Amino acid sequence: MNERQWNWQLWAGFLLCLLGFASYPFVFAKFPITRDVPWANFLLFAVGGVLFFLGLRRAFGQQQQYRGKIAGPILGTLSLLAAGSFCFIVFYMTKQLPASTGAPRVGQKAPEFVLPDTNRNPVSLDSLLSRPLSSTQAPPKGVLLVFYRGYW
Amino acid sequence: MSRDLCRKAGYTYSFLSDPRAEVIRRYDLLHQGAGVNGQDIARPAEFLLDSSGVIRWVNLTEDYRVRARPEQIMEAAKALR
Repeated sequence: MNERQWNWQLWAGFLLCLLGFASYPFVFAKFPITRDVPWANFLLFAVGGVLFFLGLRRAFGQQQQYRGKIAGPILGTLSLLAAGSFCFIVFYMTKQLPASTGAPRVGQKAPEFVLPDTNRNPVSLDSLLSRPLSSTQAPPKGVLLVFYRGYW
Repeated sequence: MSRDLCRKAGYTYSFLSDPRAEVIRRYDLLHQGAGVNGQDIARPAEFLLDSSGVIRWVNLTEDYRVRARPEQIMEAAKALR
């Protein structure tokens, strides 16, 4: 009886799609060049998709030689889920932001505030604008306020 | 937690805490329920102020994955001379 070969393309394609998804938060999101437009992940999905398609073709077109008629559709669904949810996240989810129409604009004075720093000392915007970083320097030419999402 | 991060990373700038999102609201940057545990957080934004406290440059990103790059901010900062 013929021993059918393991359909490696099916599995490699699937794994690349998984990697396409998982590598974004752990690797590519750390660098603006691959974070802003996740082209590296799109590439992984593309190569994974092609390999998977070739594997699927083997599974159903060369059934005597290759396995994968059951694994194929299952892995294919999972791969599509990975690619689909990735696209949903980067094309839609991360753009769901409030309008913030009341945010201060260019030309307006930034609203004053006093907030605790990491040593629980109160820091006012006024002090940030007027106090130099060290005693030998002039007062700052400006202040950059960065609001972030709390954890990144 | 922020203090440990600042120490390890060697940040020299001020890291401020807004636990009740008061300043976040004052700047209209509240993003309700968007935190990991459903807390209210800020939507990302950067404001460059000149020495008199007037805003000279604002970045209200449309996608929270995409933030202003340091080069962009430095370019805007050049105008503050």
